[in-house]
Amino acid sequence: MILLDIPTFFGRLHPLVVHLPIGFLVLAALLDWASYWPTYKSVRAAVPLALGAGAASAVVACGLGWLLSTTGDYAPALLDNHKYSGLALAGVAVLLYALITPAVRAYVALPKKVFSGAFVAVLGLMSYAGHQGGNLTHGSDYLSLSVLTETQRPKPTSLEQVFVFEDVVQPMLTRRCGQCHQDGKLKGKLRMNTHADLLKGGKHGPAIVAGNLTKSELYRRVTLDPAHKEFMPTDGKTALTRNEVALLKWWIEKAAAADNTKLTAVKGSEAVQPMVAGLLGLSGSTDAVVQEAGNDAHPPNPAIPMTGDTARITAARSQGFVIRIMNHKPLMLDVTWPKKTGQPVVDLAVLTPLAKHIIWLNLSDLNLTDSQLKAVTQYSNLEKLRVEKNPISNEFLRSIAGLSYLQALNVYGTHITSAGLTALKDMKRLEKIYAWQTTITASDVQRVFKDSSNVEVIL
Amino acid sequence: MSHHHHDDEFGPRHAWLHTPELAKLNEKLDRRRFLTKTTLGLGALAVGSLWGGRQLFGGVAKAPNELTEDTQEAILKALPHFAPKAKRVVYLFMSGGPSQFETFDYKPKLAAMFGQSLPDSVRKGQRLTGMSANQSSLPIAPSVYNFSQYGKSNTWVSELLPYTAGVVDDLCIIKSLYTEQINHDPAITFFQTGNQLPGRPSIGSWVSYGLGSDNENLPTFISMISKNGNDQPLYSRLWGSGFLPTRYEGVQFRSGKDPVLFLNNPDGYDGTDRQEMLTYLKQLNEMQQSGFGDPEIDNRMAQYEMAYRMQTSVPDVMSIAGEPDEVFDLYGPDSRDPGTYAANCLLARKLLQKDVKFVQLYHQGWDQHGGLPGGIKNQCKNIDQATAALVTDLKRTGLLDDTLVIWGGEFGRTVYSQGKLTKDNYGRDHHPRCFTMWMAGAGVKSGITYGETDDFGYNITQNPVHVHDFQATLLHLLGIDHERLTFKSQGRRFRLTDVHGKVVNDILS
Repeated sequence: MILLDIPTFFGRLHPLVVHLPIGFLVLAALLDWASYWPTYKSVRAAVPLALGAGAASAVVACGLGWLLSTTGDYAPALLDNHKYSGLALAGVAVLLYALITPAVRAYVALPKKVFSGAFVAVLGLMSYAGHQGGNLTHGSDYLSLSVLTETQRPKPTSLEQVFVFEDVVQPMLTRRCGQCHQDGKLKGKLRMNTHADLLKGGKHGPAIVAGNLTKSELYRRVTLDPAHKEFMPTDGKTALTRNEVALLKWWIEKAAAADNTKLTAVKGSEAVQPMVAGLLGLSGSTDAVVQEAGNDAHPPNPAIPMTGDTARITAARSQGFVIRIMNHKPLMLDVTWPKKTGQPVVDLAVLTPLAKHIIWLNLSDLNLTDSQLKAVTQYSNLEKLRVEKNPISNEFLRSIAGLSYLQALNVYGTHITSAGLTALKDMKRLEKIYAWQTTITASDVQRVFKDSSNVEVIL
Repeated sequence: MSHHHHDDEFGPRHAWLHTPELAKLNEKLDRRRFLTKTTLGLGALAVGSLWGGRQLFGGVAKAPNELTEDTQEAILKALPHFAPKAKRVVYLFMSGGPSQFETFDYKPKLAAMFGQSLPDSVRKGQRLTGMSANQSSLPIAPSVYNFSQYGKSNTWVSELLPYTAGVVDDLCIIKSLYTEQINHDPAITFFQTGNQLPGRPSIGSWVSYGLGSDNENLPTFISMISKNGNDQPLYSRLWGSGFLPTRYEGVQFRSGKDPVLFLNNPDGYDGTDRQEMLTYLKQLNEMQQSGFGDPEIDNRMAQYEMAYRMQTSVPDVMSIAGEPDEVFDLYGPDSRDPGTYAANCLLARKLLQKDVKFVQLYHQGWDQHGGLPGGIKNQCKNIDQATAALVTDLKRTGLLDDTLVIWGGEFGRTVYSQGKLTKDNYGRDHHPRCFTMWMAGAGVKSGITYGETDDFGYNITQNPVHVHDFQATLLHLLGIDHERLTFKSQGRRFRLTDVHGKVVNDILS
């Protein structure tokens, strides 16, 4: 029921109505000043009308503005500037108009030149109030001198073009801290617009000290316990992600907190390059990933395509596959064919269009043979594969040796032997092989993998 | 006139909708009344909202239900927030508050302090329960049971848990849990729902709501309680859905002939009749739903359908007849006795194998205010072998790779004896400031101990883990950002961790 929000409705007329006093008062000033020229002498008679209309509409605009101020979330300081300058303007306009009414003029005769001069004040006040109103609506950086001088940095398109401070750290700080630590709102007397601002710092000393994390107040604040009262950003604003903190740390410690330095020029920058690429969305990459998985120490495999055809998922589901979306971007799938009595033979063909998205796959206990499972070798991004309790042999193990992202392989209750294990020896990411209920023994495992391997074989 | 108007609106097809309740509702929206009220009230309302009445009226303007549904849909669509490590959870809840001193938190220095009064510098004026607050002294009671180091990780475990000690390299033992609650009811409700007051959804319900089902023939969230529990009571709200739709509530499975109450057809009642009855019932419900739009009707329909599918799936999964003897040997002799903790552990493994997402076991009897040495020995004996067997069984079948196992109670116990302390007998009161839990499996480091307590086992000295931190970590492992899984109820958004909770990154693998 919109009826209840009368103040909002009328309040929103303020930006419209506010242009009436602007027009009328400019007109009044124009008429008054023009009347000094003989050609326009006659227009002086119209000044009281224009001024009166200006004063009246200014009062109405003030009223509507007040309504609007009660309904919107405006920064109190900016709001006050606008409110009081607007009220002052309306007051001056009303006063001026009063001074030229015949009733008042009987007592006080305002000299003509003073009256004309007063319009300078009116227009000045009007410009100020109007500008403050603009700041409220569009933000205080909407129309300022810095807009004239500011140059937009082009977004880097490769890691080689990235400047550590200008492209990584500064945008990050602007994003997370800018709201409170910028021109106009210098909380804690800290301004964070430029590199120099950070070195200068605020009330509590420098925000950044090159190479010294403990003395860098900024770093201390963002790494405190979020419940701590000095934690930044405060007031429930979005905190820096783990990656952002890590980059900040790296910049202060390893990149000497310097500006004007290329990322690739800093020694050891390889360590943070993937993170930077993710943050800036470089190399066809993982912008969304790093943002989304902000808390995850292991970013997803970049070979997984970002998006996939969801119609294919629906199609595979209708065939009987249970498909769980593990992650949206990149699209990662966990696929299971549940064991049912009297089930048809599993047809993996329907999964082919989704091959690169299949990360976990469970085809256990389905009486599948090596050849029926051949399609699995196409699922190049597989991380967990369950094929336990199927009549498969070493040939299957040899066929999957190319699945370079595989971390866990479940082959318990199958016909595999220690000879098959050898085929898995060079799979770099493989961590777990579940081989219970096979002929494989602990000494087989020892012989094949030695002690140095990351692989744990569970028997 | 106005009656005629109503008929137009709902049409003759819905003549049955002329119930007294609906007539009343219609009257409320009667056009004439509406105009009278609004025009007369308009000025007052406008003034009211001018004078700081915004909070009072502001929200009314925005059809709240529609907004909520939109947002809720968006929230669910974003899940999972990142790739999960765990696909299922089995939570072994040790109700009553197991003592950390006789299980995992080895405090050798206490032996020399037998019977000494607990220093005030340690207690720091902490509130005690009414049960021991009036004791004239708080004598330190060292554990009567010995500890040894086990596994490659050299982890200290009490002699009461020999089987658990055998799988200690698979566990991540957290000694620094703490809670805000000191009594059972609020503490267990806090653990299971994130708030000490009843009414919030349980962890399993949040998970079920957020992630949905991986097996449409079984409930996503199942709870089981060991039989013969005669200790602190358990309540269905611990697996309840709170303000979430009721279909996300945990379904309690019982031992015996009827694992799920009222699921089987009554004797002499034909299954076809049942199906026919359900089909008609569904039609009736759909009519009701189109008239009233109550989402609970949808839930009711979903539950009837689930119940029907469970008529075949439940007897299958609850039957342990097909298990080889070797499995019963692994879980211990109790596992042949339906309803015991061991039998429930075995069932839990079977449910997890079927991709049931959240299985919650409760085992009561850990509340040893007196006679602790005897009581806890018995408790440990009842759970030790089966717990270790569950870990072993999940590991050898590969399920531990994407299953998270959790063991723990609602709080710990005091270092001082409640009641009389003798060489071989004492009691321990509730202690919220530190206690031990363990996690194992998907996404959690194995063979580590996290967090430290002081020499008195009274305060945490390193890496405290709050209940909300634990909950945040659990959700994290399932691919859920605990701050983003929210539900709007009664005008505000709720989450499992309220406004708290930090993922314990240090224990993530």
